[in-house]
Order: sequence, then structure tokens, then C-alpha cells
Amino acid sequence: MSQEERAQAFVGAFRALQTEVEKVIVGHGEIIAHVLTGMFAGGHVLLEGVPGLGKTLLVKTLAEGLELSFSRIQFTPDLMPSDIVGTNIIVEDADGRKHFQFQHGPIFAHILLADEINRATPKTQSALLEGMQEGAVTVGGASRPLPAPFFVLATQNPIEMEGTYPLPEAQLDRFLFKLRVRYPAIEELNAIIDRTTRSRQVGIERVMSGPTVLGFRELVREVPIASHVRDFASTIVMATHPQWELAPDVTRRYVRYGASPRGAQALVLGAKVRALAEGRYNVSIEDIKALAAPALRHRLILNFEGEAEGVDTDILVGQVVESVEAASVERREPFLQ
Amino acid sequence: MTPPAPITGLVQRVTRQIRLRRAEHAGVRGAFWGAVGAALVLVFKGPLGAASIGSAVALVAVGVLAGLAWGLLRRVDARDAAHVADRAFALDDRVATVLEWAGRPDRSPLVDALVADTLARVEALAPRRIVRRVLPREARWLPVPVLTALALSLAPPVPMPTGGLPDFLPSRGEDEREERSASTLLEERTRALAKQPLKRAMLEERDFAQRAGAGGATSPGDLTAIFKDTSLSGHRPDFNSFLKKGDERLKLLEHVDRLPDLQSDFTSTSYKMVFRKSKALTSGLRPDQITPQKLKELLEEMERLGRKGGTWGGDAAEGMEALEGGQTDKALEAMQKALDKMRAMDAAQRSGKGLRGGRERDRGARGRDAGRGGGEGYDEQDFGDADGLLPGRGRSPMPKGEATARLRATPYDVGVEGESRQGRKDGYDTNLTGRAGSMGSRLQYLGVIGQYRKQMEDAITREQVPREYHDQIKDYFQALDER
Repeated sequence: MSQEERAQAFVGAFRALQTEVEKVIVGHGEIIAHVLTGMFAGGHVLLEGVPGLGKTLLVKTLAEGLELSFSRIQFTPDLMPSDIVGTNIIVEDADGRKHFQFQHGPIFAHILLADEINRATPKTQSALLEGMQEGAVTVGGASRPLPAPFFVLATQNPIEMEGTYPLPEAQLDRFLFKLRVRYPAIEELNAIIDRTTRSRQVGIERVMSGPTVLGFRELVREVPIASHVRDFASTIVMATHPQWELAPDVTRRYVRYGASPRGAQALVLGAKVRALAEGRYNVSIEDIKALAAPALRHRLILNFEGEAEGVDTDILVGQVVESVEAASVERREPFLQ
Repeated sequence: MTPPAPITGLVQRVTRQIRLRRAEHAGVRGAFWGAVGAALVLVFKGPLGAASIGSAVALVAVGVLAGLAWGLLRRVDARDAAHVADRAFALDDRVATVLEWAGRPDRSPLVDALVADTLARVEALAPRRIVRRVLPREARWLPVPVLTALALSLAPPVPMPTGGLPDFLPSRGEDEREERSASTLLEERTRALAKQPLKRAMLEERDFAQRAGAGGATSPGDLTAIFKDTSLSGHRPDFNSFLKKGDERLKLLEHVDRLPDLQSDFTSTSYKMVFRKSKALTSGLRPDQITPQKLKELLEEMERLGRKGGTWGGDAAEGMEALEGGQTDKALEAMQKALDKMRAMDAAQRSGKGLRGGRERDRGARGRDAGRGGGEGYDEQDFGDADGLLPGRGRSPMPKGEATARLRATPYDVGVEGESRQGRKDGYDTNLTGRAGSMGSRLQYLGVIGQYRKQMEDAITREQVPREYHDQIKDYFQALDER
């Protein structure tokens, strides 16, 4: 199969999976697309939204559409790290001899739903870190690889913060995207009611296998990106740093720490997936702009001014992108615009 | 692999369009400035004659041609042209990516697919002008110099001012003066003046007769000697020595630091200076936030002052050692100790104890007298029994004046100055940190509020404070600022 045919296959598979998920999830087309983008980019996704918006259902439906193993962990304050990664237990064999045997935890799955991740203690949350970053966990001194592809979809609730443990910046940075699930419009709400209050259940077809996902992940990385598009992405990330000499005023005023290089990687990788999913073989400026908020919103740490004024990081990222674009237009000659 | 011809052809077409537009832009600018030059030349049409019109036309032509040439010959980057094409034809950066990646050795097979896709799209494009015309700001004002130049070329030459400066020399004849003057009175005056020949100023050497009884020795700088010394009349004026002395005095002014500071004894002391610097260094900052270099400079200065007769030199030196060892806390403690000693000495000097003067002598005498009479002088008084300087105790002679007036002399220093009393202390010497009535707090307000503000910001940024309280907290601290 030629690369062009593989690219066409990717477009087909992406759209098929999106269609399958949309059979169950109503009105979150952009969220679904971003979740799939995160999966094909090889990253993990954090979904944030109030209860009842279908975050968990979205992940379960996605897992049903893929021929991959799926496990779900409901995070609670008394959850222990061993409840996630597993532990060594003593077993007795037929001869009556006892030995340790590793009992796999729920993390050993292709798709892991970490539901309400901010309800567990930081110790338990950090048990996910190694798995998310390295694709392996270490138990009893032995490193155990996780199945590939390994994809963590975590959800968290922005309200009811009492008794929760907000994710530390280091762990937030390990998520490729943070997606905000918003409340549906009235038409979408009607569609949800219609679909979910009938007796007939919607069947989800499995459209993709694990090796296919891995193949597409490799293909995505071959998408070329022009230097000016790459520069645009890196300038956006640099513009989130208040210490940068060319940082826009909005950053200097409200941001304490800007996005890490992981943010730039997330931006470009996500843009490559988006380009390929739209049938293009190159990354454009529009791809970068479309993914700036999901890739950067959780990587900005606001200062006191920003926190006190309740600055929305989505708006902040939008203003940063606008200022970077305006600066690049200003630098160009009028004939080149 | 090079980009296919249709793609490079598109880029070349766009490059040509950019050049043309750029030439138009620069040509209009050249025309404007050429016309300005032409108008200036035509102002001098009178002296220049017919050549001015030719020069003006040439200037305009040169301006236009220079602009056109600059616009046409300036290089256009192919990547810039590709960006313009991508934007104009909504090609989503395909052309720019192809131009960059087609020739790269590390290109992936997807690049070939990209080239084929871009080629198909470019071939389907209908050729059109995509580079917009941009007129410079000068285009709006171009008619002004052009019309001015035209008007000047058609109008008669502008009269130029002629002649030189009026001649004030008295050598001119009377007839000429008569022609110029209008009023008879003026005529008479000028005639009268003209009849009197002007005298040239001349330097004359004069010998002054020496006064009798002169000749007393004088010392340089003795001003009274000038009036006493009648021998001056016997000397010629020595301008060279006068100038030399003037130069020396001017040189003295350049060394301001050697001049006596007449105000320093009354308005600033070394303690106050060091105190202000230490305040500026430490206010609102934790020890780890203080710049070690500045702290070291301050300690060095304190040590230098200590060498001139103070007792805090050792503390300052100890602080410098601690600072070199990286112990900022200890350095700050040592600085505070030295500062306390400086303050003690300053207070002692201000209370008159360090001065040699009539007051001390009086007091000493009174003390001695009192001692002889069986009582105690002020110097020997013991204030250690909760009496003496305390307000309301009746016996205080208040040698330092009203404390509150002294303390509120500066807006930043609301702490208690001076040393605490020796002996028993009953409730007067407490480290109160709350709001004091008439009694000053020992803590510096700005320093404390700075620390609290920092703690508050840290708490908020670490999400230790619920979001609902952020506004309230912010308003509270803002209210403190306004106050």
C-alpha cells in the first residue's frame, strides 16, 4: 500500500470511528475529533466538564469502536497506587509451594478511563505518571511494559472542588490535550433525550484494531510541516512566557509560567493528525490555530492577577495566537499580505 | 526532486506581480520626493534662470525612475511568494511546503503525495492578479508638491532678499545719511553724531602713586587685606594671576566631595543614611530574596563607617563573613546588630551627650553642684526604676523632646527609635504588632505589609484559597494600598 493510499485509509478510518462515536454521543463533534486526534498523535487526553455531559460515555463508546482492551478506574480518595498498577500476591501451586505472582492492575489495558482523576490522592495520581510517559510501570523492582497502543482518557469535574486534589502541573503537562466538555445546545439536548429514552440500543461497530492505530501513529509523524508553520507554533508557545522579550501584554499581565516544549510538540503533532484527517498531506497555519487551545490551556499557570480576575485560559490562548499572527502580519511587506 | 514546473511557474508569476506592485509603490514615493525637490528648485527660479525648470523636471523623473528601479530590482523571496499564493488561492500552505520539502533528502513518501496533490490544485487554478495594489502615504499628498512646482514654474520668479548687513561705520558721508533719514529731528541727530568723530576704545597703562603708610604683609585669601593694603595702588593690575585664581576656584567646584557639607550635621546622619539603605534593601523581602551583592555593599559601608570611631565595625565584618559563607540570615542579623549600635550612637549624639558644648558643661556643672548638695546630676541619674522618661511620671525632664514628633518625621519610619531603657521594663517595652494607639509599633509597616502580600499571592496561586474569596482578598489589600 502506498503512502497516499495509507493516508486515504487513515481519512476513512478516522471518519468511520468519528461516525460510530457520534451515533451515541450527541453534539460534541469537536470534542470527539480532538479525542481521536489525541489518540492518533500518541498522547493522552484530559476531559473536563460538569457531571452528566457524557464524558465517560464518550470514552466507553470510543473503546467499543476499537478492537482494544478497555478498563475503567473510578478514582476515589482511598484509592491506592497498587489498585492501579497491580501488586505481587502469594499463590500456591499444585505442589503446595508458595510463590509471588504479579496481579495486573487495571492500567494494563489499551484504553484506560481514569474517571474523576482529581478525587484520588497525589500519590495515587502519580502512579499513572510513569505509565503515561514511559508506557511501562515498575512494580517490585521489575519494569512491566503496558500494551501498545496505550491511551489514557481522564475526566475531571471543575466544580465540587472540596475533597479533591487538583492535578499537579507535572502531571497535567503529560496530557497532550485538555478538552472542555460544554453543555449541549437545546437541539442537541432534544436529540440526547430521544436517543437515550428509547428502548432500542445503538450498536457500535468495531472499525479499527490496535496495530492499525499504531500504523496510523507512524504515518502521522511523516506529514511534512513547512518551516514558517513550525515557527508559528513555536512562537505561540514562546509568547506564553512572560519572560520572553516579545511576549504580548496579555501574557505579561496574567501568566506566571508559560507552556513547556511538550506544549509545542503537542501542538505540532495534533496539527499533523488534523491535517491528515482533513485529507491534506501538510500542516497549515489553520491546523495550529485550531489546536492551540486544547494543547496549551492546561500548560499555562496564571499569576495572582490572572487568578484573582478569573481569567479564562482559552481566551488567553486565543489572544496570544491573535497577537502572534498580528505581529507576523506587521513584519511582512504590504504586498506580501 | 525539484518542484514541478506549474508550481514554480505559479511562484514566478506571483513574484512578478509583487515586483510590479512594489515598483508602483516605490515609484509614487519617488515622484513625491522628486516633486518636493522640484518645488524647492523652482523657488530659486530667479537666480537660477531657465535651468531651474529643466532641473525640476529632471528631479521628478529621477525620483520616479529610482523608485521604479528599486521596486523592480529588489529580490523577492520565493517562500514569500509561495505564502502569498497559498493565502490568495486558499491552498493551506501547500505551495510553501512543497517548495521547502520537494528538494530535501529526508523527505517522506507523503511529500510525493503532497506534491501530486498540490500540482493538481495549481493546474486547476485560473490565473489572476492576486497581489493587491498598495499606495504609499505620500500618494495622498503627491498633488501638493506637483501643483506647487507647476505654479512656481508658471509664476514670476520669487523675489529674493538682496544686500548684506547695514553698514554702521562712521566713514560714510553726510549726503548718504540725509537720503536715508526721513524725519528732520532724526536728521539733526544724525548730523550731530556724524560731526563727532567716534573714539576707539584704547587700553592705557597707568601708574598709580603709592600711598603713604602702605606696605604691610598680606597673606593670600585675606580679603580684609585688600582694603587695608594700600600698596595695591603701587602695582599694575595682574590679569594673569587673577585668571589663574579663578581657574583654581572653578577646579575646586569640580571636587564637590571635598567641600564641607554644611547641612549634613542637621539633616542627615550616617545612621539615617545606612538605615534608609537597609530599609530599601530588606523591606518586604525574605532573606533568600535579598541581593547578596547589595547586602555586601551595605555591610562594607557600615564597616567603613565603623572604622571612623564606631563600635559596629566588628558586627559588619562578621556579617560580611557570614555572607561570604552563604548565610544570608546571619548576615542580616549582624547588619541589624550593627544598625542598632549605630542608632545608639546617633541617639547619644543627638541627645547632646556626645557634644562638647555649653549645654553639657552646664549640665555637668549642675550635676556637680547637685552632687555637692547631696543630689544627682542628669548624667548620673538612674532611669532604671520605671520612672524618669515615662509619660505621666512627673519627673521626666524630656531631654530628647516629644517622641511622637521625632518618630513621624519620615512617613516610612513608624517604629520606636532609640534604645530601650536599662533596668526594669513594665509594659512599655513590648513587641506589639497590632494597631497601636499612641504608641508606635516596633515592626515596619511597609515591610510587614509586603510580606503579607507575598504570602497572600503565594496562597492564591497555590490554590489554597477558594476562588470565591479571591475578589474579597484582592479588594482588602487594594484598600490597604489606598489608605
